[in-house]
Parts: sequence; C-alpha cells; structure tokens
Amino acid sequence: MARMKFLCDADRCIECNACVTACKNEHEVPWGINRRRVVTINDGKPGERSVSMACMHCTDAPCAAVCPVDCFYTTADAVVLHSKDLCIGCGYCFYACPFGAPQYPKVGNFGSRGKMDKCTFCAGGPEADGSKAEYEKYGANRLAEGKLPLCAEMCSTKSLLAGDGDVIAQIYKERVSRRGYGSGAWGWQTAYREAIAT
Amino acid sequence: MLTKRSERQARRGSLAAAIGSQETGGFDRRTFLRRSGLVAGGLAALGALPLASVRKAEAAGPAVAGATIRKNICTHCSVGCTLIAEVSNGVWIGQEPGWDSPINRGSHCAKGAATRELVHGDRRLRYPMKLVNGQWTRISWDVAINEIGYKMMEIRAKSGADSVYHLGSAKFTNEGAFLFRKFAAFWGTNSVDHQARICHSTTVAGVANTWGYGAQTNSYTDIRNSKTILFIGSNAAEAHPVSLQHILEGKESNRANMIVMDPRMTRTAAHATEYVRIRSGTDIPVIWGMLHHIFKNGWEDKQFIEQRVYGMDDIRKEVEKWTPEEVERVTGVPGAQLERVAKMFATQKPSTLIWCMGSTQHTVGTANVRAFCIALLATGNVGGPGRGANIFRGHTNVQGATDLGVDIATLPLYYGLVEGAWRHWSRVWEVDYNYFADRFDKTTAADGKVTSTMNTPGIPSTRWFDATLLDKKEIRQKDNIKAMFVMGHGGNTVTRVPQAQKGVEKLELLVVCDPHPTTWASMAPGRKNGTYLLPIATSYETNGSRTASNRALQWGEQIVKPIFESKDDLEVMYLLAKKLGFADLMFKNIKVENNLPVPEDILREINRGGFSTGYCGQSPERLKSHMANQKDFDMRTQRADAGPNKGDYYGLPWPCWGTPEFKHPGTPLLYNTNLSVKEGGGTFRPRFGLEREETLPDGTKRKVSLLGNGYYSKDSEIKDGYPEFTLGVLKKLGWDKDLTEAEMAVINKINPTTPDVVSWAIDLSGGIQRVAIEHGCTPYGNGKARANAFGLPDPIPVHREPIYTPRPDLVAKYPTLPNAVQFRVPNIGFDVQKAAVDKGIAKQFPLILTSGRLVEYEGGGEETRSNKWLAELQQDMFVEINPADAAERGIKDGGWVWVTGAENNSKAKMKALVTERVGKGVTWSPFHFGGWFEGVDQRANYPKGTDPIVLGESVNSLTTYGFDPVTGMHEPKATLCQVRAA
Amino acid sequence: MFGILAKLLMQVRFVAGALALALVIAVAAPASAQQPSSVNPTASAVQERQLLQELNRIQGRVTIPDKKSDVLEQPAGREWRQWHQVTLRWIGAIAILGMLALLVVFYLARGQVKLQSGFSGRKIVRFNGVERFVHWLTATCFLVLAISGLNVTFGKALLLPLIGPSAFSIWSELAKYSHNFLSFPFTIGVILIFLMWIGSNIPNRNDVEWVKRGGGIIGNDHPPAEHFNAGQKMIYWIVVLGGGASAVTGYLLLFPFYGTEISGMQLAQIVHSVVAVLFIAAMLGHIYIGTIGMQGAFEAMGEGTVDVNWAKEHHSLWLEQEKARAGATGATDAQRRATAAGPAE
Repeated sequence: MARMKFLCDADRCIECNACVTACKNEHEVPWGINRRRVVTINDGKPGERSVSMACMHCTDAPCAAVCPVDCFYTTADAVVLHSKDLCIGCGYCFYACPFGAPQYPKVGNFGSRGKMDKCTFCAGGPEADGSKAEYEKYGANRLAEGKLPLCAEMCSTKSLLAGDGDVIAQIYKERVSRRGYGSGAWGWQTAYREAIAT
Repeated sequence: MLTKRSERQARRGSLAAAIGSQETGGFDRRTFLRRSGLVAGGLAALGALPLASVRKAEAAGPAVAGATIRKNICTHCSVGCTLIAEVSNGVWIGQEPGWDSPINRGSHCAKGAATRELVHGDRRLRYPMKLVNGQWTRISWDVAINEIGYKMMEIRAKSGADSVYHLGSAKFTNEGAFLFRKFAAFWGTNSVDHQARICHSTTVAGVANTWGYGAQTNSYTDIRNSKTILFIGSNAAEAHPVSLQHILEGKESNRANMIVMDPRMTRTAAHATEYVRIRSGTDIPVIWGMLHHIFKNGWEDKQFIEQRVYGMDDIRKEVEKWTPEEVERVTGVPGAQLERVAKMFATQKPSTLIWCMGSTQHTVGTANVRAFCIALLATGNVGGPGRGANIFRGHTNVQGATDLGVDIATLPLYYGLVEGAWRHWSRVWEVDYNYFADRFDKTTAADGKVTSTMNTPGIPSTRWFDATLLDKKEIRQKDNIKAMFVMGHGGNTVTRVPQAQKGVEKLELLVVCDPHPTTWASMAPGRKNGTYLLPIATSYETNGSRTASNRALQWGEQIVKPIFESKDDLEVMYLLAKKLGFADLMFKNIKVENNLPVPEDILREINRGGFSTGYCGQSPERLKSHMANQKDFDMRTQRADAGPNKGDYYGLPWPCWGTPEFKHPGTPLLYNTNLSVKEGGGTFRPRFGLEREETLPDGTKRKVSLLGNGYYSKDSEIKDGYPEFTLGVLKKLGWDKDLTEAEMAVINKINPTTPDVVSWAIDLSGGIQRVAIEHGCTPYGNGKARANAFGLPDPIPVHREPIYTPRPDLVAKYPTLPNAVQFRVPNIGFDVQKAAVDKGIAKQFPLILTSGRLVEYEGGGEETRSNKWLAELQQDMFVEINPADAAERGIKDGGWVWVTGAENNSKAKMKALVTERVGKGVTWSPFHFGGWFEGVDQRANYPKGTDPIVLGESVNSLTTYGFDPVTGMHEPKATLCQVRAA
Repeated sequence: MFGILAKLLMQVRFVAGALALALVIAVAAPASAQQPSSVNPTASAVQERQLLQELNRIQGRVTIPDKKSDVLEQPAGREWRQWHQVTLRWIGAIAILGMLALLVVFYLARGQVKLQSGFSGRKIVRFNGVERFVHWLTATCFLVLAISGLNVTFGKALLLPLIGPSAFSIWSELAKYSHNFLSFPFTIGVILIFLMWIGSNIPNRNDVEWVKRGGGIIGNDHPPAEHFNAGQKMIYWIVVLGGGASAVTGYLLLFPFYGTEISGMQLAQIVHSVVAVLFIAAMLGHIYIGTIGMQGAFEAMGEGTVDVNWAKEHHSLWLEQEKARAGATGATDAQRRATAAGPAE
C-alpha cells in the first residue's frame, strides 16, 4: 500500500512556480487561495534555497486532531483530506498546521472565513471520484485517474517529488549520494517524524 | 468558447464512470493504482529508477476517455517544451505532462503550467477595434482590412514604402515568420524586424562573424555532458527554467563546476558552485581577465587554435593589457577568483559558455559575444558534446523568426540583401526579380546616384521612433516612418519609452495585430484616431513549426480554433496582401483554404529555398512524424533509436542538409568533427574569404589562409580545409559526375551562362549539397573560426564603458565608439556619453540600473500579465535595491519608491524590494511591466475588458540611449538611476 | 497541576521564540556588498535541520503579497495541537468540573444561605433597569459564548458521537456564528459593566474584613459590606478583566492576521481558552450564589429590588448609606417606591 508523500529537493528548486500554477490550472483554484507556494530562504545570499510547500499530508495530522468538527480523514494512501460540508471555517487547522497549508476564501474574513481549502494531493474529496460535485469543491482527482499530483509531475527540475514515501525517499537518497550534498528533506521531520538518512 | 468549466466536469464525469465500472469489477482505488503501475508512472521520469518501461507504456495512450490529445509547443521561451492539451468539444479542458518529449520530459515552468488560461481568453481582444476620436469602437474585419490597406497605400504614395514599418514577432510560427518577411519584400521595405533585435541580435552577429552560423552550437540537453558550465549574463533559472533540469542533473552527475557571473545573485547563482559578481557592462574585461590567466599559464588548447582558429595572436596582445589589477579596477572581480574560474574553464573540460541578454543588450553587445566565442576557441571548447556556445534565446520561435529573416539586414535564412539573395528568393517564389526591384524606394544621393533601399538594411526596431521624430533629412530614406504595422510585439520592450510615446503620437497609422491590445494601445494617451487593434490567435490556435534554441523544429498542432473573432497571423497577412494587390503572386505556390494559407505549403516553400542554413530537409511530414513518435527519441543523445524516424535527431536541428528525401538526420551539435557530415557532423564555415592579406610590423604583407589547417570532420575525403562547394569545385574534384541529370538541369537553369558559380546555397536541386556530403564534406566548406573578425567595428573586442557609466573616470581610457550613421539613422552615442560625463550624471544618478526577466512573465508582459494564474504571483512592479542603499535612503522593503532616470527627466513609481541579490550601488527591475507612466495608471486607455490584470511602470521608461554599432541593439542592461522613497 | 503549568510554559516558550526571530530579522544588518573572493553557493546552502535548531521556525520570501505565507515551517503548530487537544482539555475539565463538584459539595454541606431574619416585606431598589439590562445582556451573551466555546473544545468528544457528524457540523457552525456575532454585544456589556460599577468596586478596608471573615459563607456570620462585597467585587473584576481578555484575544482570532501572525494567534487562542474556562468556572459560582445558593439574592437582578432584611444581612453598610441618604432627603426615591409597592403585593 502506498504511503503518499511530498518531497521538495531544495537543491533542485529554482522557484519557477510551475507547481503553483500547475495546481491552479488543474483545480481552477481562485485568486487568493494558494494551495502550494514557494518560499525562498536566505534570499539573495549565498546559501539561498527555495522550497515548494503545500500540505505535507502529515502522519497523525495536527489539523485533523484539532478540528473541532472532525472534518478531516486520511485515505488508504495516507492522503489527508477534509470534507467541506463538515468544515465550519473556524481556522483551528491553520493554527496547528506547521506548513501554513490551510487556505480560506478571503471574503468573509469576519464572521466566517468560509470553507477551508487545501492541497488534496490531487485526490479530491469525500464525494464520488471524478464527480462534478467533487471537482467543484476540491478540484481534480488525479489519483483516481491513476496519476500523481500535477505540481510534481510538471516540476521544471524534478525537484518536487510526489508519490510513495519509500520510493521518493530512495530517489532523494540516490541524488544526494551522487552529487554529494543535500540540504534535507524539508518538512519531513515535522510532518512524518522521520528524516531521510543520507 | 467560454463554457470551459462545465466541459471540464464532463471529462471528469466520464472518467469517474470508467473507474466506477472497474470498481464494481473488484477494483478499489489502490488496486487500480497498483495494477496499472501508475503510482510509479510519474516517478519513473524522475530518472534513476528502473521504471522506464512502465512510463512508456502509460504514456502511449490518450490520458482521458472522451478527450482528444493535441500537442503544441509552449510559447514562453525557447526551450521548446511540449505541451499536451486535452480537448473536448472544441474546448481546452486540461493539460497533462508530456512525458515523451526528449526536451522537457513533462516539465514546465510557471508560464507553461498556466498557459491554458491564455486560451480561456478572459482578457483577450475579442474583435477588431479602431480608435475614433479617442474612443475604442468595434469594427468588422472587412472594414479593418479595407481601411488599413487603403491608408497604407496612401502613405506609400506620399512617403514611400519605407515609411511603413513592419514589426513582426518571435511568436510567429516559422511559416508566419517567413510569410511576414515575404510580405515586407512584396511591400518593398527592409524595415522588418522582431524581438531578436532586442534580445540576441548581437549574438547572431557576433557568433556568425566568428564561425559561420549565429545560433546555439549545442543544446539544452547536451549541457548534461559538461564538466564546467559558465553562465554570464544569463539567469536561466527564471528565463529558461526547464533548461535547469538538464543543467542541474548534469551538474549533479558530473559533479560539474557551475559558475555564474552576474551583477545580481540570481536564482541561477543560488545553485552555482562559484558566483562571480561583476559590474554591469564589463563582460569583456572579465573574459579578457580570464584569458590573461589562461595564456599566462599555458592552459589554452594550442592544437585547436593552430588548426581551427584565425587571429588568436591578436587577442593575446589585447589580453596582455588586462592584468588582474586592471580587471579588478574595472570589473570589481578579484584576481584570485578569476584565476580559479579561468583554470576550471580551461582545464576541466568539456566546458560550455551560456549567455543571455545580460551580455547582449549593450552598446558592446556584439563585442561581448565575440569575446565569449574567443574564450571558447582559445580553450578548444567548440564542436563537441558538453562544449560550445549555449545561447539561450527567449521566445518559442525567436530562433526560427531570426532564421527566416524577420530582420532588417537579410532575406530568409541569412542570404543577405545583395542582388544574388534577391534573385535566389525570386527563383524560389517564382516571381520576377524586377518585380521586387520596382517595389522598393529609390533615393538619389547628392552626386545624382540613384540607389534602391532594396539592398540596404532597414531601420532597427530600437530606432523606429527616432525615424519618426528626427528631421527627415537626418534619415537615409525617402521619408520618416509614418506607420507602424505591428504583429505580436510589445511597445514597452525597447529603451527610451518617453521618446517612443512621442513617436506613437506622431504616427499616421498604428496597426496592432495581437491577442492582446498590448502596451501600444495604452502608451499614447494623446492619440485619438488612426489606431487599429486586430485580434490574433495565439500560438496555441495555429498549426505550424517552431524552432527551439537548439535549432530543432517542432510541429505544433492547433489546440482549439481561434477564439472570439481572432484570426490566424497567416490569414491576416493573406487578407492584407489581397487588399494591397499582391496576394496572387505572393501565394502562387501556397494553397489558401478559406483565406487561410496552408502552413505545410509554406514550410515546403521554406524547404525549397532554405539550403544556406539547412532548412531544406525538415518537411512537414518528417516534423509531424517526430512529434507523433517522441517516445522513440533518447533524451541524452536526442536521437531516435527505433521507430519510423530511427537515426534522426529530434526536431531535425538545422542544418538538416539536402532535400527531405535525402534524410539527413539534422545537426545536434554544430561544428562537431567527430561525426561525419551525413550523421550530423561539420566544420567551421569559411564565409569571410579564403585568405586574408595581413600587414606585418615591418610593413611587409603576407597572405594567410582562412581555411582549416589539417582538421576535418569524420569520413571527409578531403583531409584539410576546403572552400564552399560550387559546381566548379565539384568539377575540379571530379565529383560532378555524381550529380543526377535532373540536378544538373536545375543547376543549369539557375545560371545558364556560368553554371560553375552555382553554389550549394542556391542550388535548388540540393544536388551539390548531396554530393559534397556523400564525400564526407560540409557543403559550406571547412574553414577557421575568426578570433580576429576583420570587418567589424571592433575586430578585436575592446572594453568600452556604457554610455551612462557609474565610472566616468574610465571613459577617457575606454570610450564608446565615435558617432556614425547606422541603419539609416544617426547614432550619437559618443556625444551622449561625453555629455553625461561632463554634466556629472553619475553623481546625480549614482545607482546602476539593470533589467531582467521574472519567471512568471515574458517580454513586454501583456500576455502573461493578463493570465490570472501568473498575475497573482507578481502583482507589482518593483526595483531591487541593496539593503545598504535602501537604508541610506530610508527605503523599506515593500514600500513605494520613485526611480528617476538619466534621460528625459524620466521617473517611475514602483515598489522597493530590499535584497542582497543586488550589490551596493546596483538596482534591478523586471522589464515585463507596462500600463503605468510617471506614477499614473493608464488602465483607462485599454479597450474595456482587455486591460491586463497587473499593470506597472515600464523599466524602459528609465532606460537610456546607446546602440550596438553592428545590430542597433539597445542598452537596457547598464544605465544609471536614482531611487528615493515615495 | 505542575504538569499543566510546565506545558503552559512550553507553549509560551515557542511564542517567545517567534518574537526572538522577528527581532533577529529586524536587527540583522545587511552584509557588505564587497565580493568575497570565494563564493560557493552550493556548498553554503542552508540546511533545514540547522535552521530549525536555531529558531524552531523557518521564514523566507514569497512573491505573492500574502505575507503570512512566507513562513515555510513552524513545527510549533504541533505543540499548539498538544496544548489544544490535551492541556486545554485538562484545564477546562478540572476547572469546570472541579467548580461544579465544589458547588455540589458546598450545597450539600451548607445548603441554601437563608435569610436569617426572614422577609420584612419592605423592599429596597438594588439595581435599576439599566443595570439589569446590562447585566442580562452580558449574561445571556456569556451563556451562549460559553456553550459554543465549550463545544469547540469538548463537542467533538462529547456531542459528536451522540448526534453524528452532519448534525454536529450544522450545530457547530451555528454555534460558531453565534460565538462570533454575540461577541460584540458581550463586549459592549463588559464595557458598560466596567463603567457602570467601577465606583462601587474599588477594593477597600471593608473588603479585608469581609475576606478575613470568609464572607460569612460558613456559619451565620454576616460581615459588613457595601453595595458590593469583596466576593462580588471579585466577580466584577473577573468579568471586567476576564471578559476584556477574552474579548481582545477573541477579536485577534476573529480577524486573523490583523495585527498578529500565526504564533500570535496561537498565543491568543491559549489565553482566550484559559481565561474562558476559568471565567466559566467562576461564573458557575456566581450563578450558584445568585440563584439556589442564597435565599433572596436572585431578586436583586431579577426584579431589581431586595428585601430590606436581606440588605441588612448581606450589605449592611450599603443599607446604612441608603438610609442616610434617605434621611437627608426624607426618603430615597427608591425606598418610597419600594414601600408603595410593598403593600400592593
């Protein structure tokens, strides 16, 4: 059984933002909602690295734990999804998320932030796979089509990897041993409580 | 056309049904994923995993039931990424990674991944419009074509053909570019230009003047083979992101040196192993500084120089002056660092040199490029895998548009403007030579000598407004420019926007053919009439071939029909040609279906005449077969190892010799002597004579051969240098017997009186090429590359300070070239530089201003700033400023600032980005913005609903005078400014 | 209890860490523009582990204007989750259940505090209409806020299994809206309470005496008290300060990223929830004593008047003050009205 994970190889990431727009394109995500973003650390200094970040689909996800209405669920592929029907837009998942993944429609900042939106690992939501309702609420369900998340598939330098955790960890390990350096599997320790030994 | 969302759901629905049925058959989602092997499918393309077979099996079939798959080429840079579109009921509903492309392997950058939005068309021009008393008014296509054609003829009658400027596009297909050049020829002007003028014109000139062809010698994918990769003036990570896939993988697997020389610590520099910060506009001193160490330590490739290079000793002399101390004084680069870099470049080979607009956009652009070529020649780094001049170009088809002569100085495929060139194309077009001669303006000089502008280069796109604003007497043509006919070119991409605005106001006719209104529509608020906007289909709504930077052609399929009332470029050219009365002649051999010329026929016409550059072998059939069978091509070698195109290199990179039937595989690496010419090998091209008379210091003269010295390409029957092939040469060698009767007949028809002078380039039978290649020889000959490019203003590149330099103390020693008349207009750079020094401009404007590209936007930016998925990522025009400079001025990161420029009292309001990317004393701005002027939003000037989402000041409002003497290239990369908090 | 404190301290620590980071960023001076002679960006690449060790948070630059998105990683979210899921529940449960238990025990042991001298039948006005309106406005809002707030923390465990996810979500969303909207009248109420009664709630020497004598809760003692005794003053200050604190932190949460960023909101949530549960516990005591805990007390806020005997027993000084004032003017208006009303009943 696959345990889906993301891994951004910062030594490859060039902040081209393909992952960001691929996500927008695939799911028609509205302006202001950024399911994925690229953050550049040490901008302009030697040692600068960019990292593409979205929901990491944590092991024992904190968002799910703190959700007052229990709207999160984890699929058999270990993808953390949520139900927008159950979500009450309280914002608690945003406090708990180590990666800033949950997004809210900006309108209704007062009273309600609206239904939370976040990366689905291109796996849709609780509705029937590929249904119109699912697409409207969560975007495309590529996993059900047998495809991986488009952000990783379109990554310009193959920096962003998505797929079974063991497989992508192996790819990363091989890269690091081939080139002799690696700034780390960003977010893994926090999200999965494990690091990739290199 | 705008029912995109519901259509999209239809696709998902049908797919859900498909999967649903599997589920009832005992599949759950995981089983489905596992059994189809698709979990690993995407991953396999990441390399290093033994899953390639799985990937190929997956990628063969259409991804989605009910949707058709169409392949096109991403339009936003020259890498040539394949774009896979899913189309349902005529609507582009989704985009998938093109795993099979040997160029991008499914990858895209922000622009490529967002490109579907471009065809949604939220901000597109929907129908033809015309400015009536300052109001945009909808008109029909018929009215538009009639009125424009009438006005053009009126201007022609009054002011001559040269008064109508033809500004074309790097976004044309090859067929569009060729047709545009042909259109200008039929109209009777050489003032036909496109974006290459302002990006790589100096590259083309500098490189062609060194070794024959002005193009990237190797390819993006070949950089995987390099051991040392040197970038100068290139921020490929933002300008050519997908190229970084190959560069970084190469860097990793070869543990290669990656050196980035730039005034700015770019996203590319972040991944370098050595970052060298240089002062803008000092490329030559840096390179000469490197060569100083190379020659001093004997790291040069002596055999290579001996066999394949002319004039290297002249370079040694110039380089001697550039001691580490002088280099550091001028460039700021410490000697120790430069020595380390020089050693890596010269000794850890193969080395490649990558450059871009950071180096080309200078008054010394051509000389910069020449210096780069010389560095490669001195270290023997040309003509093999992992080596070469890897020139990254900027648009999907800027290489093709350059090749096909959307250029002021040449007819298609670099035939030039000489009579022989016109006669060649007259033969190909089957139009009488005299027809063209009659179409051009004649000027009478003071001595009464009449010359036709047919043989003189036109006015470069950087100077059109000078040709509008200057006194008629100062322009070497019949009259000022009165009309701009613009197809696919922004108005804010050239320096000195305040002047351009005045130029726009003065035009009698402005025609903008584009998917968007572009900055042309907004930049002249004073204009009330005589402006036409014609909606043009994007690249994705057309069929045709595009030439990527690596000279490979790819056939893009129309993804959807032109949206709204948009028309294909080809159709507009046809309609206008018809109105102007030369359509029958112009389309003599091109089928026109429903007003749309058939692109395949145009490509065949290119093939029939494209011998000089090897555009002769890439028939539409071959190109389509390559696209359909991408999976057969190996990413590393670019060669098909199976399938119908077995043995071909992907996209038949030019030169692809002979007729399509000759089946030349294309030339993946130029001047590669390790392959036979038939397999894609070649030699340097002798195009500057066979020998040169040199005067020695003692006054004696000697003749030096410019032909290759004891080197040759694999399997060559001539084991030494040789001149280009003509029938006469073949006869001397006794190879003329190999020509067929049909070929001989064609040759005799070309020149019935002296057929011996018919060369490989004008032999329409392809026979001379065929025979030369059969004997292992390069049709153009085997010559030496020129380190000394006699004939250029600076045959040996010398450092010249930018017109507006922050170091006026260096101007006396390194002044710019004297004033001269170039391309029909005066270039008074010398006076401007002198005045700037005298007036102490560098004190008033102490910061260097340089410009560059953002990954989210392209060119003038109207297209990409109208794309909501991209616009969201860069919402404001900004200027990067060093924290120290910002602190001195009380400027905060993200705060508003006024940037003032050294000319025209220019000022621009933008946001400050305080960052150490730029060093102290340097500022940087992206060049994609437009639609603001002097702090005022010009949004109201756009026709309603077509304004780009994001507007901002154009950096070119601040950039200044300065032109390369060889090509008319402007100088937006080194000027001065001042910044203060707003 | 110590464990809880330790955890609380831990929560505070990461907030402090975030503040320290902000400081470091602000202070970091720009490096010299002078080019060092060896720059190898690859070799000097930032390492995730190192950054996290330094600041427990990684921040950078993003191109989108949404500045909050420039925080790449803040593992503190995990700690906040620990707080929210474990610590807060313990604090809440102990405070609220403990208070309930205390009251039950007290009630069983002490029973209702009876009016020793019986009802005199004569009434005196204790709270006028405005005062009562403000009290009940605040009180109703408080009840709704308390219930909807508790739902966020305990609903998932207690209510959701009973009514199912759909119903629970609908209820929770309603609860959330009520919580958000009623916060405004509640805040107004708290402000009015503050202004209205501040004069009678300044602690003084009488309160010391009152406290010394345990407020007379045990036994039949009746320490003298003014309009508000020390216990009531305590309630007043709990309402004013607790209400104020929960209002301020609540608004920070209600308007995310206005003035705070994520760690600030985590801190705000911590303060909000701790104050809230303690507030609720205190209010349980207040409700108890105002209703079944003390005979004759509810009338004060219910009808606005109290029996003179009740006043004598519980607020002797206040009654004297009132009488003195009445003596000066003949009789206070209140007394006149009360006396007039008395026989009619």
